[in-house]
Amino acid sequence: MSAGRAGRLQVLVRQRLRRDRAQLLIWVLGTGVLAAGSVASVVKTYGTPQDRAGILQVAVANPTILVLRGLPDGTSTGGFAFFELFAFLAVLAGLMSTFLVVRHTRAEEETGRAELIASTPAARTLPTVATVIVGVLANVALGVVVALAFLTIGVGSGTSGADVAGSLLTGAALAGVGIFFVGAALLVAQVMRTSRGANGVAAALVGAAYLLAGIGNAVGALGGATGAAGIDVTSAWPSWLSPIGWGHQVHPFTTANALPLLLDLAGAAVLVASAFAVQASRDSGASLLGARAARASARRLLASPLALAWRLQWPTIVGWAVGGAALGALVGALGPAVQSAVNSDAAALRQIGGGDPNASIVSLFVRAVFSIIGVLAAGSAVQAVIRLRQEQTAGTAELVLAARVSRATWMLGYLIVGTVAVIVVLGSAALVAAALLGADAGPAGATPGSATAGDVFGAALAQLTAALLYLGGLALVFSLVPRATIAVGWGALAAGTALGLYGALLGIPQWLRDVSPFAHSPAAASDWSGGYWMLALAALAAAGAAAVIRRREVV
Amino acid sequence: MGTGTIAIETQSLEKHYGRVRALDGLDLRVAEGEVHGFLGPNGAGKSTTIRVLLGLARATGGSARVFGRDPWRDAVQLHRGIAYVPGDVNLWPNLTGGEAVDLLGRLRGFGGGSAAAVRRRRDELIEAFEFDPTKKGRAYSKGNRQKVALIAALQTPADLLILDEPTSGLDPVMEAVFGREIARVAAEGATVLLSSHILSEVELLCDRVSIVRAGKTVETGTLADLRHLTRTEVSFARGGLTDAQLASLPNAHDLRTEVGRGVAEVGRGVTEASRGVAEVGRGVTEAQGARVTADGSAADGATDERAARRVHFTVDSDDVASVLPALGALGVTGLTITPPSLEELFLRHYGDDL
Repeated sequence: MSAGRAGRLQVLVRQRLRRDRAQLLIWVLGTGVLAAGSVASVVKTYGTPQDRAGILQVAVANPTILVLRGLPDGTSTGGFAFFELFAFLAVLAGLMSTFLVVRHTRAEEETGRAELIASTPAARTLPTVATVIVGVLANVALGVVVALAFLTIGVGSGTSGADVAGSLLTGAALAGVGIFFVGAALLVAQVMRTSRGANGVAAALVGAAYLLAGIGNAVGALGGATGAAGIDVTSAWPSWLSPIGWGHQVHPFTTANALPLLLDLAGAAVLVASAFAVQASRDSGASLLGARAARASARRLLASPLALAWRLQWPTIVGWAVGGAALGALVGALGPAVQSAVNSDAAALRQIGGGDPNASIVSLFVRAVFSIIGVLAAGSAVQAVIRLRQEQTAGTAELVLAARVSRATWMLGYLIVGTVAVIVVLGSAALVAAALLGADAGPAGATPGSATAGDVFGAALAQLTAALLYLGGLALVFSLVPRATIAVGWGALAAGTALGLYGALLGIPQWLRDVSPFAHSPAAASDWSGGYWMLALAALAAAGAAAVIRRREVV
Repeated sequence: MGTGTIAIETQSLEKHYGRVRALDGLDLRVAEGEVHGFLGPNGAGKSTTIRVLLGLARATGGSARVFGRDPWRDAVQLHRGIAYVPGDVNLWPNLTGGEAVDLLGRLRGFGGGSAAAVRRRRDELIEAFEFDPTKKGRAYSKGNRQKVALIAALQTPADLLILDEPTSGLDPVMEAVFGREIARVAAEGATVLLSSHILSEVELLCDRVSIVRAGKTVETGTLADLRHLTRTEVSFARGGLTDAQLASLPNAHDLRTEVGRGVAEVGRGVTEASRGVAEVGRGVTEAQGARVTADGSAADGATDERAARRVHFTVDSDDVASVLPALGALGVTGLTITPPSLEELFLRHYGDDL
């Protein structure tokens, strides 16, 4: 019997690997290529230990940089690349784990396929075991690939050879973070009722881990724990709440301490065990969050395609807005610290902020964080169009289109809701940031050395156009090649973020970075030419989508 | 009511998906006020036709007209008067059944009726179908999802109801409720296009039917018309009748003698029949050996066995009267005359041997 069980497990693992083969390959190899490219760029740009020490000093003196980067790990090339890249790679590992786990657990239950499997001798637990195995395998592969990327440092650089131990530890730390999130997503998928909800919560946990690690590092730097050369930071407690923070604490290129990895593994073990405990106690397809008593008839307002689009999407929009507000709170909480940092060398921030020489350090910081909030806003727009596609594949669009609703009206509802989502995400972030900063109600730049409400809302407004371009552009993709909507949507968002926000860091040439809408977001209040272009393009794309969809079959 | 005017008309309708010809010259005419059965085996093109009629799919060739208008171009205007029940109802997982019913009614503009009247009908239908409107879409079984679409379609006044296997998943009691509702809307003058596999439903509700196969219409007419195309089955006890006496029956087709009492006898009949095939070469076994055919020479057994045998033959439905005197002359006993069932009608048209 146990041989049969092992055989069934093997079948399930193989089925998962086969189903995911393209997707996982792209995640693993894509991350590897990204890591290798960035490492090469770091080696080229910061060739000497003096260069690297200089940058680290700037970063440590400006804790806001630490929030968005990582924890300094010495001046070796490997250590510097670790500082620049690890948190970013860890987010990718966490998201890979999240989507992988939810895809094979809650999403399967939602579609009813899980029942088909559960009715075989594989029963209810074996598929979950197989999912954990595949999740661990994927993260080990990711760790190996990233370790190889770090090993390329030795190739062609005369100064120092590859640090084999450091590279392997980096890969192990990354795999550790990814495996922790396999456990986290597994538990979340048990608790949440829908795959969309599970993906949202688990991905938010990844984002929270990223921010907690960064805040812990920044607070540590502000507390003065920066070492003799001003390039070491002892992280404060928030970092220790974050699996990404644990990864940082490995310090692969200096103290090389593998013990924090045990936290990842222990945490993952506890989460996986809890997930199994929850699964053992619930019905297949049910969730811990039980069904609530619901309305027997619809609200008066639920009477148009637009109202339906809003009814279907507002919970997701609230999720995105909470993310935006959290980042807005970060702006508000750290703004004063930025201002009081003594050794402020504005060059680095200025680069992020778009080179506006008149802007205060705080307002540059506000802009830098809002560029990330802009990605959230674009994400909410992308999801609105993806919802169109999901309505189409779920067969619910047919019900609406068989009523007195034209295809264009149907699509327009989702585009309007997408626009509202973008505004809500940016607006909630700006409101929270402005309130916490206690910003003066003045125009942008009115108060030297601090940020006004005008600065904050200006930074929010500047992110509007790129998000709307994603909305209109993806609507056009949906109208032309509906099947590609989801892949193109998230792919374009990821590529745009990597190129536009991290392109300089990753050493990507300017012309390629300019492909990203985010590279054209109006950086300074005065220069909106890129913004107007994007608005025009967004409107054009949306109009094109409406024209195409009038002529096409949708369902 | 507008009798005589045409609600649905397609001529040589074609719809290709890549190289697949889902519709290959389909003709369909449904008069206003008629309940029209739309029949055919799986994959015959029924749902594709319905999608064209709803303007959800665009015809590749031929023409389709609904109330004289192009369903693709004028979809939105036409849909005010059309209620639709899909064959496979998918609901929004986080909307309750009641919300979905209300939303669809409103999106249809209440079918031109008043909100209050629609509301009243909705509540009556919810009660008639014993439907719980407070559950979320994801929690409903197939039959209950079907009820959502049925209630949504029937609550608003409609000139045309397009129903794609509307009772799949419903229990027999609910099927009866459905039948009553269709009779009601038909009495009010609505046109109904009913795609169905449930023959009793078709027989009960439909004025005319069209049978499609492989994207083409193969038969259309009233059920009485279609019955004319088939034969009536006659059977009686063989008793001591000779082959020559049987051969004298006029207009009899497929004349045969069968043993048909219990399973055991059928089993024996099979062996006998196969012996007949071997020895005489005239016996024929039919599908699965359930019906056994052998001629008299294969059955030279005991008289009690002989008494259990029945003679079967078919006769064109129009010629039944001409056979009766001959049967009377032979003095047959245990006579049964069975009109063609719809099953036979459909099997004739659905089967491969067309």
